[in-house]
Amino acid sequence: MYNIFWLVPLASILALLFALYFYRQVYKEDEGTEIMKKIANHVRLGAMAYLKQQYKVVLIFFIILTVLFSVLAYGFNLQNPWVPFAFLSGGLFSGIAGYLGMKTATMASARTANAARKSLDAGLRVAFRSGGVMGLVVVGLGLLDISIWFIILNYWYPAANDTHNMMIITTTMLTFGMGASAQALFARVGGGIFTKAADVGADLVGKVEAGIPEDDPRNPATIADNVGDNVGDVAGMGADLYESYCGSILATAALGSAAFMNTSQMQMKAVLAPMLIAAIGIVLSIIGIFVVRTKEGASQKNLMKSLEKGINLSSVLIVVASLGLLYLLQIQNWLGIWGSLVVGLLVGIVIGKATEYFTSEEYPPTQKIASNAATGPATVIISGLGIGMVSTVIPVIAVGIGIILSYLSATSGDISNLPVGLYGIGIAAVGMLSTLGITLATDAYGPIADNAGGNAEMSELGPEVRKRTDALDSLGNTTAATGKGFAIGSAALTALALLASYIEELKIGIDRLMQASGSYLFPNGLEISSRAELTGLGLNDFMNYFQVHLMNPIVLIGVFLGSMMAFLFCGFTMNAVGRAAAKMVDEVRRQFREIKGILEGETEPDYAKCVEISTKGAQVEMILPSILAIAVPIVVCLIFGVAGSLGLLVGGLSTGFVLAVFMSNSGGAWDNAKKYIESGHMGGKGSSAHKATVIGDTVGDPFKDTSGPSLNILIKLMSMVTIVMSGVTVAISLL
Amino acid sequence: MKEHYLYFSVTPEALIASGLEPEKFGSYLAVGTQKRARGQAVFFELDIDKMGDIVSKEYIEKNCIPRPDGSPKRTLYLSIYRVLERIPFDALKSLYLTTDDGRVLKLDRGDFVHQKSESLYLYQELCPVTPRIASTLDPVEFVNYVCNPKNNISVPKLFCVQLDLGELSNDPIAGNADNLPYTNVYHLRDCLAGLLQNQSKFTKTVVRFFKGDIQYRTCKNGFFIGDNKTCLFYPFPSKTELDEKYHSWWRSALTMGFN
Repeated sequence: MYNIFWLVPLASILALLFALYFYRQVYKEDEGTEIMKKIANHVRLGAMAYLKQQYKVVLIFFIILTVLFSVLAYGFNLQNPWVPFAFLSGGLFSGIAGYLGMKTATMASARTANAARKSLDAGLRVAFRSGGVMGLVVVGLGLLDISIWFIILNYWYPAANDTHNMMIITTTMLTFGMGASAQALFARVGGGIFTKAADVGADLVGKVEAGIPEDDPRNPATIADNVGDNVGDVAGMGADLYESYCGSILATAALGSAAFMNTSQMQMKAVLAPMLIAAIGIVLSIIGIFVVRTKEGASQKNLMKSLEKGINLSSVLIVVASLGLLYLLQIQNWLGIWGSLVVGLLVGIVIGKATEYFTSEEYPPTQKIASNAATGPATVIISGLGIGMVSTVIPVIAVGIGIILSYLSATSGDISNLPVGLYGIGIAAVGMLSTLGITLATDAYGPIADNAGGNAEMSELGPEVRKRTDALDSLGNTTAATGKGFAIGSAALTALALLASYIEELKIGIDRLMQASGSYLFPNGLEISSRAELTGLGLNDFMNYFQVHLMNPIVLIGVFLGSMMAFLFCGFTMNAVGRAAAKMVDEVRRQFREIKGILEGETEPDYAKCVEISTKGAQVEMILPSILAIAVPIVVCLIFGVAGSLGLLVGGLSTGFVLAVFMSNSGGAWDNAKKYIESGHMGGKGSSAHKATVIGDTVGDPFKDTSGPSLNILIKLMSMVTIVMSGVTVAISLL
Repeated sequence: MKEHYLYFSVTPEALIASGLEPEKFGSYLAVGTQKRARGQAVFFELDIDKMGDIVSKEYIEKNCIPRPDGSPKRTLYLSIYRVLERIPFDALKSLYLTTDDGRVLKLDRGDFVHQKSESLYLYQELCPVTPRIASTLDPVEFVNYVCNPKNNISVPKLFCVQLDLGELSNDPIAGNADNLPYTNVYHLRDCLAGLLQNQSKFTKTVVRFFKGDIQYRTCKNGFFIGDNKTCLFYPFPSKTELDEKYHSWWRSALTMGFN
């Protein structure tokens, strides 16, 4: 193994050490007055109660799948024997990252509000560094898991001079992404249902029926709403990006292993390159986090610039540092590979900017929705849907151009060099996610600032403090929207890399079958019987032998099923929010009716009961979509084989990506159209236009916070399940 | 603590005795006991000793008694028709504004110092009738004018609030109305422009009948109550003062419910 590899575990440990450092720094801050502590404690207990319940369900689920994988691997020899362990470790590390992120976020909100009593900068630093804990824990644990597996597997399959062993290592490591995917599924879907059930429930009875403002301690659902912000945007977003981060690195390593099989030295470099880029990204993210600070009285624009300064610095540095790294590695066509990485970074920026354009109240699309509010809620809904659909154009084109440019850059313009081209696409995904440490810090900052604002309101802190926490919260709303765009874009590129690496998994599965039975018969009738023949097959050969072409009805069936899955999954999660929110509405109404003195502020509502309702609702409601996301790819693999599976993944990826962009942007645009009117347009607060946009915002809540983000998981998870099932697919598929 | 309070509820017009102090009375009017209802309330506390023979103290003492469980009597309606015209001005104490969810803001009487910076005004009449009127008259002139018996139509006494017109107060045609939540702003512009063109006309009805709640954020200067000679003024705090001193009430007042 190359000595340079050790930079990877070192960087992961560095990330965890800095996460610990930031955690301690934030922990040292005072939590403020007794009431601030009390409110923060309610949120903390609620968040932990939710996580505990979620992890119980996840544990059962993991036990069942681990047993299944063990039976397939050890009972029937149909699967890589490491899969059960890799699956468990991926889930475990992702779970730990979620737990630590939530613990920090819920610990930080009151401290942020209290720091804002001193200055805006103090508030920003506490909130952002708490977000930094989440960012660094995710990248630290992700790379640590990758490092551990790489070391273990290198011990079992020495790869220094054996290209086949490297293939086994990289394809085995890829399967731990399935554990991260499964964990992310529950975090995103469960978290999305929880947060919107609480939010919609709190709004419908609190604001709309009882006329109680947001973040008012008299509203029984207000703590659940605050818990939901953390559950959805800290744990959910963290698990989602953890999966993308690991998935992109592992898929690229697998693609690199296949693309550079001619020499073991070059193969090793190609496998290490994505890990090393991620390692450098960690160091640069830490530098970026330290740079973020602001001045007292900073405007919204200045606050945004403070965050952008950190992100931009990390991005510029990663461009320079990765150039040096690839040069030093002397990987084949290092400049072209570097070009692919830059393309990935640029695609991320373009998608982020496009998201901002279509969802920010400063630009025409959102203002157009607001102006449509003059004619009522129907036109708000219609224009929001329309703008969301139109907003898919730029991300789709950006990803399309990104795919072709990263492909051509890696192959120096040779379109026929498929393996290296796909490796370039993988590198683009790695490039986009390389500075995840700081970009995720920005995402996790949002709910912390939001909760800090809630805490300041509920604790009745002074107007100056509220002004500061409002400014921090408003900044968080902007970063949340662009963060969603980033998460979707990275999920799409990661899923694409996973899709490409699927063929490598098939090779390993076929090799295992040949070892057991002596030969393997492809669907087109060709039979091979030696590893040399198998290794000599290119990607195009596999496509031909498995009859993966558009004239094959099995592929088309798979494409249709994949598209349907995206809509079905959305439908289930949307309906789940509706049902869970209805239960919350009933509970809030009951408390107003039965607990004397809530509205007078003389009695404290039963916050825990609302948290419990949201938790139970989320756990029950997430089961069906979760089973669906895992079971359908398995069934398709077993019935339609490789051709059907690839069709399913293509359909799911293309439809899921576009649908996710549409839903997130529609929801974000509706939300900000309301805010645009509240800031004094179209009649301002209380006008009929305002009421129309409130309805639009409520409709958009599950769009942008439940179904849209959950699709990120669906497209990656279906790829992961298909990859893990590849051994079974080549052995026993019906068609 | 006093045993009885006397209130003049403006919307709807009623004279009510109660065992509840003003904040609790306002909260009760807004959300009731079962918390199934919600709605604004605007009311004055009255000095029972200055009400003369309009109310019977004996009747109140006899009937406004604590409930069997010891809690105060919430409401004892004494009169519900033509109440305002019978109330002496010197019996009026503080004015209370209650939000949908029962937050109560107390306004004390103040001196109205008119700064003639605008040429047009908008008033929401609240009692005894409820049209919304555009006018060229300043608040005191407006109240005295509407209550002037020499006019073809008049009311004996009037309670109203001045509403914000923003830039329309000086430029009804091209002034920015972006932050004015009134329905049909085009009609409002026409009414205001018509007043400017026809100098002989002092008032123009914008909305014949008031529906819904007062949007407190549109209150300008404050509330006025008077007749053809007198006009009392209850100043509404500035937005900065509301945010700093009465934040809970102000946040509640800004929260929109669906009627």
